[in-house]
Amino acid sequence: MLKLILRRLAQMVLIMAVVSFVLFVIFDSDKFKKQIAVAELGGFAVSALTEEDYRAWLASKGLDVPFHERYANWMANLFQGDLGHSFEKNTEVAGLLADRLLNTGILAFWVFALMIPIALTLGVIAGIKEGSPQDRVTSFISVFFTSIPEIATAIILTVIFALGLQWLPAKSAMIGGWNWQELVLPVMTLVLYDFGYVARMTRASMAEVMTSQYIRTAILKGIPRNRVILRHALRNALIAPFTVIVLQLNWLLSGVVVVEVFFQYDGFGKMLLEAALFGDIYVIQAGTLVAVFVAVLSQIISDIGYTFLNPRIRFN
Amino acid sequence: MERHEISRREFVRIAALLGVAAPAAYKLAGSTPAFAEAANSPFPAPDANAKRGGILRVAMQVQKMEDPATYAWAEMSNQTRHILEYLAMTGPDNVTRPMLAESWEVSEDLKTWTFNLRRGVKWHNGDAFVADHVVFNVKRWLDPQLGSANIGLSTFAAMLEETGEKDGEGNPIKRTIEGAVEAVDSHTVRFNLSRPVLSVPEDLYNYPTAIAHPSFTAPLSDNAIGTGPFALAELKVGDKCVLKRVTKTADGQDFEYWGGDVYLDEIHYYNFDEDNQLTAFAGGDVDAIYEFAVEQIELAKALPGTIIAARTAQTLCCRFQVNQPPFDDLRVRQALVKSVDNAAIKELVYPEDGDVAENHHVAPIHPEYFALPPLRRDVEGAKALLKEAGYDESNPLKITIDVGNTDGPWHQTVCEAIRDQMKDAGIELSINVMPPSKYWEIWDKTACGATAWTHRPLGTMALSLGYRTGVPWNETNFASAEFDAALDDAEATFEVEPRRAKMETVQRLLQDQAVMIQPVYRPVYTIVKDRVTGYPAHPTQYHQFNRVWVA
Repeated sequence: MLKLILRRLAQMVLIMAVVSFVLFVIFDSDKFKKQIAVAELGGFAVSALTEEDYRAWLASKGLDVPFHERYANWMANLFQGDLGHSFEKNTEVAGLLADRLLNTGILAFWVFALMIPIALTLGVIAGIKEGSPQDRVTSFISVFFTSIPEIATAIILTVIFALGLQWLPAKSAMIGGWNWQELVLPVMTLVLYDFGYVARMTRASMAEVMTSQYIRTAILKGIPRNRVILRHALRNALIAPFTVIVLQLNWLLSGVVVVEVFFQYDGFGKMLLEAALFGDIYVIQAGTLVAVFVAVLSQIISDIGYTFLNPRIRFN
Repeated sequence: MERHEISRREFVRIAALLGVAAPAAYKLAGSTPAFAEAANSPFPAPDANAKRGGILRVAMQVQKMEDPATYAWAEMSNQTRHILEYLAMTGPDNVTRPMLAESWEVSEDLKTWTFNLRRGVKWHNGDAFVADHVVFNVKRWLDPQLGSANIGLSTFAAMLEETGEKDGEGNPIKRTIEGAVEAVDSHTVRFNLSRPVLSVPEDLYNYPTAIAHPSFTAPLSDNAIGTGPFALAELKVGDKCVLKRVTKTADGQDFEYWGGDVYLDEIHYYNFDEDNQLTAFAGGDVDAIYEFAVEQIELAKALPGTIIAARTAQTLCCRFQVNQPPFDDLRVRQALVKSVDNAAIKELVYPEDGDVAENHHVAPIHPEYFALPPLRRDVEGAKALLKEAGYDESNPLKITIDVGNTDGPWHQTVCEAIRDQMKDAGIELSINVMPPSKYWEIWDKTACGATAWTHRPLGTMALSLGYRTGVPWNETNFASAEFDAALDDAEATFEVEPRRAKMETVQRLLQDQAVMIQPVYRPVYTIVKDRVTGYPAHPTQYHQFNRVWVA
């Protein structure tokens, strides 16, 4: 197990090094430097600059330093905890990243806190008796909500609960300070989008377990049905959903950009989108490293969890 | 005035240019509008019913405040406009009045402009505002390495000369002309220009021309010393910008603002992307927004609040580079223009507001606009011209237009409407949509592109910036000695009526050369809560909230 974790961590460091190098190569191109100039000065002003003036501007931003030197400096600073300075936000990347990760962490926590019990309960109920009315109703609800894109769900919820009934704020920018009410609509949107997927996985897993020999034997032995389900079926049925749920961490970090932008919630995904549009290289680098870290970490957690849940898996 | 030779607004404008105080000008014009009533003030008249205090919350993109001279977006200038001020101010009525300059005089040849600065203006640190401070700012803007868009403005371009050397791309290297800007005395500044410039006051309210304290070093947000009524209390880019009334100078003295009454205690800008501002307003998060798009107007109408539509000269030029095939053939360009019905496109995109544009980049809102006969679509005429140029059904004209939607998706809508209309003349137009930042990299290089041009107070300004031979922003590569001479003549004419007569030639020359299809001058929409009074509908979305109050 320790060997597996070490191997995964080594892979993570390698991926981080490769990704950061590739990103630096891409953003060191003249094209992306021009993109930053256009974002900073505007298209009209850039076109009025002579070549010499443009070079002077690049120098003032530290963008004229040779690639290998910039990359080496960035790496050296990284090891000292300095992630660089944001061109767009005019602030240290470390602080910005911490703020945005915290916000996304809060969002992810509440999505998980609601989505997991709902999805598992519905999935188990549906899977216990394949083809039953409860299975069909649950499956329909799950497929229905998962089929609707997040942006559509967000609009529908906003129209109903914010603009129509006026029960909840329409946006989640937290302009008056932290307000839990502003978190309700983004959490609802993500839960509605995601629970169906996990519920379907749970249902499939549960249905498979319920048709297995040992469950049939347990039932034929006369063990009460509830006990068979809770003691014998559930643990095995949860193996597949567990993996899926842990991998949702990844999605909640950088895959929820649509929801964060729609609700103007200052999370990690929105930060990454804004940085990409601006060409804010140090924010993109830092964000990418975090995304890689979380992706690998979620895989490690998934592997470890899988080992504990499934006694058939053992590592030498 | 009795002979009604010029309109009231034109008279007030001329009076302002001549340094006559606005109230006096309006009095002479025989009316007393709500705007510009205070004594020698560029701001609206004080409101006896105004409630003092309170916070105005505005949804807008909150951007960094680094160097006001290199600002690229109106939003960052709005955050700054309440702190740093300008020598002149163009009001919502499109008239430019003295601001930090109390008045100005101009020589007959429009080459020498003398600005008399307002006395008693204090910086937030207690320093007195003097002529040297203006000289400091102008010299900064003229430094080519700063990268300020001000250099492209007619006023400052006329303060530069070529060194005779060229850069790596063959562009001439320029330097500031000795003595181009001088402090005559402590409160008088003189601009000595190399050629006549009409738009000096208007250029001095262009957003990167805010006057910074001589101690200024970027970023402004670290130490924003201004002359305005507000100071920066908090800036979190992408989150919020909080401005608070200045009551004391840095050295502890009472700060008396030169501009008189200011009602608000605080202005809060909250970061909302443009698409989300109206929903934020609907949800009650803010009292006003920067802008909403025309696609959202039905939602806006359903909300409690006042919709403000500002009439502007903001436009979209679907232009051709006249030295690139197939646009180097005048017959092709004329056929393209003839195949399109500008009025129908305006009606489609902005049915309720805005003006039909006429392919010469002078808008009806401009004081010197000359009304040429309305353009008429002529599909048969277009087909005949195309045939003459060698195109027919077996060999249709195929062109591509680059669109960046830099000002919103309505750019694409306009191009799609043009494409559909051109089909009738047998022209196949492809639309190449690209991200806004990408478009700004190629806007002056592409053979055919849809470029947004912002509002400028005078009709000659955009023409001078964009269509003179060899100027940096000449995206069409249009070069005509006749046009340049006609524009020179118009720009050297101070009074509006004679200038308008000269604009007929200028506008006609550009229109006949068919360098662009320019269907619409768009309105700018915003919305404010009913409890907000005095919110200005500025044609360039410039915020100046001195006389805004909240109930």
